[in-house]
Amino acid sequence: MTQEPVQFNPLLWVNAGTENVPETCMFDALWDVNEKGEFIANLATKIPSKENGGISADGLVWKIELRPDVKWTDGQPFTAKDVEFTYQTIINPAVAIRSRSGFDLIKNFKVVDSTHIEIELSRSYVPFAWAWQNMHIVPQHLLSKESNINTSGFNSQPVGTGPFLLKSRTAGSHMIYERNPNYHRGAAKFRQFIHKFVPDQLVLYGQAKTGEVDYMGLSGVPGDRWREAAAIPDRDLLTTPQPWVQFVYFNCGKPQFKDPKVRKALYMALEMQKSIDDVYFGTYKRTLSYLHTSHWAYNSSLKDPTPNPEAATKLLDEAGWKVGADGVREKDGVKLKFTMSTTAGVPARQNAQALFQQNWKRIGVEMEIRNFPASVVWGEYTTKSQFDTLLVSWEPTVGMDPDYTARAHSKQIPAKTGVGSNYVQYENAEVDRLLELGVTQANIEDRKATYARIQEILAEEVPFAPHGGTYQGNLKKKQLTGIKPNGYTVNAAWNLYEWAWA
Amino acid sequence: MLSYITRRLLQSVPLLVGVSIIGFGLMHLAPGGPLAVYTLNPTITNQDIERIRLVLGLDQPVHIQYLKWAAGMFTGNWGNTFFGGRPVLDVILERMPATFLLMGSALSLAILIGVTIGILGAVRRYSVFDTLATTGAMVALSFPTFWFGLMAIYFFAVRLGWLPSGGMFELGEEGNPLDLLRHLVLPAIVLALVITAIWSRYARSSLLEVLHQDYMRTAKAKGLRPRERLLRHAMPNALKPLIALLGIELPALFSGALVTETIFGWPGMGRLFVDALNMKEYPILMGMIMFTALFVIAGNLIADVIIALLDPRVRLS
Repeated sequence: MTQEPVQFNPLLWVNAGTENVPETCMFDALWDVNEKGEFIANLATKIPSKENGGISADGLVWKIELRPDVKWTDGQPFTAKDVEFTYQTIINPAVAIRSRSGFDLIKNFKVVDSTHIEIELSRSYVPFAWAWQNMHIVPQHLLSKESNINTSGFNSQPVGTGPFLLKSRTAGSHMIYERNPNYHRGAAKFRQFIHKFVPDQLVLYGQAKTGEVDYMGLSGVPGDRWREAAAIPDRDLLTTPQPWVQFVYFNCGKPQFKDPKVRKALYMALEMQKSIDDVYFGTYKRTLSYLHTSHWAYNSSLKDPTPNPEAATKLLDEAGWKVGADGVREKDGVKLKFTMSTTAGVPARQNAQALFQQNWKRIGVEMEIRNFPASVVWGEYTTKSQFDTLLVSWEPTVGMDPDYTARAHSKQIPAKTGVGSNYVQYENAEVDRLLELGVTQANIEDRKATYARIQEILAEEVPFAPHGGTYQGNLKKKQLTGIKPNGYTVNAAWNLYEWAWA
Repeated sequence: MLSYITRRLLQSVPLLVGVSIIGFGLMHLAPGGPLAVYTLNPTITNQDIERIRLVLGLDQPVHIQYLKWAAGMFTGNWGNTFFGGRPVLDVILERMPATFLLMGSALSLAILIGVTIGILGAVRRYSVFDTLATTGAMVALSFPTFWFGLMAIYFFAVRLGWLPSGGMFELGEEGNPLDLLRHLVLPAIVLALVITAIWSRYARSSLLEVLHQDYMRTAKAKGLRPRERLLRHAMPNALKPLIALLGIELPALFSGALVTETIFGWPGMGRLFVDALNMKEYPILMGMIMFTALFVIAGNLIADVIIALLDPRVRLS
């Protein structure tokens, strides 16, 4: 991998992708998500549902049964107390937990006995299962004694229940793990696992080619080398869907973008597929919603309105935006002129921006590229909705659940309410209602219909214009088996306990 | 001499305080901040970010944050990192040996070869050797380090397979000095290439200047042999500016070489710095600024003392 993990406590890490590796090696969640998007039991014996009695009819009470045979690698038994402690740590205001999504709905947490838990929610919330999939359980018997978990030594020398134990770490180079022979899902099939960090993507690719590296994860084979990589004998190129979808974000709070017609026209003018083919070498897959086309809730009846500059021109004319003396459209003294920002120094994104700039110029719209370093553009510039437009990749907000409340609900605009992440400042009463409905529907077909309608409205009103779903080209040796590309997690090692040498 | 050194060290205290205030201030003035990494994680809501801001103490005014940090420094507490919660001093110290080794080897190799080339070039000015050395230095200085690095990897690691392409040790060979040497060769030579070029130019011009002084002519008139004139009269004077230069270069031993470290996956300080910069890890950045300042002060002090020892005309008072 090209990045190095700095935080090994599963509750505290920040960098998804790389910091998922120590998490998966050393810790377990109640359940994981497999490559089909289904939950599979891990520390819990089964996934609670209304059918198996795990969730009450009103959706408010969740009963979780834990495996009785799990031990921490220091020999202590794993019990419901650990799950309770993990929950308490998550809601402890003094701990720098990255997210409490879902956990903030817990009204009452009850430990029934050492293997049974009952959780009462303040409202019915189907994606609650994702909250637990994203949080791995930490040991109560070790961490409850710590005065400050943020700076605890545990964070660099953790004890977990996972398939591996951390044996040594060489800063800036690699981490070596030894197999946990007592792992509750069966001991891993190899003795040692080494997580290596090679900062330069091309150099890492070189090492994967020469065989110094057995499996290359983050950030994958560079897009322009996919064809070459796929042709290497004894190697498999795994095109792995990543949960992110790239968007053009329109700040609906700015006068240029208030009218949905303008946003739709701007979207229609863009050569989305061409930018994917030319700039991303076809490594992205065009999507028309905030979900990957492979997601179970994706609305496959959506039609791609791009590229259609004629229709875009017509729509802008209708909406009253007339071409001014300088060739730029304007209406009521507002010019259709704006900036687009993203992380500076990413060539692919810059090329895509340049293409979009040309596309818009043709219909009398002026866009200026204004990129910043990541820590600037994704800081208050984004969270306080100061941007005009952004080119950004994001995943759904609650694991890979289709719930999109935080990004699309009108009560989730941080520039106005201080909560949420609806940075485009989009407001639509029907979308609000559907988002509230969607998280209460237990029946998957009902949910599918709800989210299909949401995607339809978003495709019509375009608060953000979907570009493509991200894929990563991971390279592995042919003899290495068991690796399953999984679009429902960013964790390349999610099923590490199943990997083996043929 | 001792009182001079003591006085210089005492003078450096307000200097360090000044450096820390400016460093801290500039860091916080720069747009963006450590919390930006959370924005890209969609499960993190605005209220989560505000809560983390409180936990990390970033909600307080900058001067309060500075005073807290400075108070810690006085008691030897360098603070904890934002994103790993580890003591800053540990994080820095664990990277130091790798950087010292790489920079130390590259610098000594470069200075040795560079100064030798420079001297030969100055003595035989406009000779074939001098012309070649000058051209070579210009070439080495013109090409970017990353290009040399990638070429070196391509030829010696990928094509010929003689040397490893990166890292410090082969896995499982940690601590084996021979393996370390094999890994050190490419990055040290690539890094040394540019430094050699610079030092050869400095050495050449410094010696040329001395060779044209009146006392050199006098020495020649006295009938001293060329060798004696060079070693006894020219060299000691020509080396003085180089020692001062060495004093200035000393901090590089600590700060490392960013590009070379990244290309060769060398786990040194340069990469720590860039990672910390990207994440806006203020505690690590401050720690590194303070370390660098210490090295700058120490480097200059040592250079001054050595020059005083070598040159009787310089009085340390």
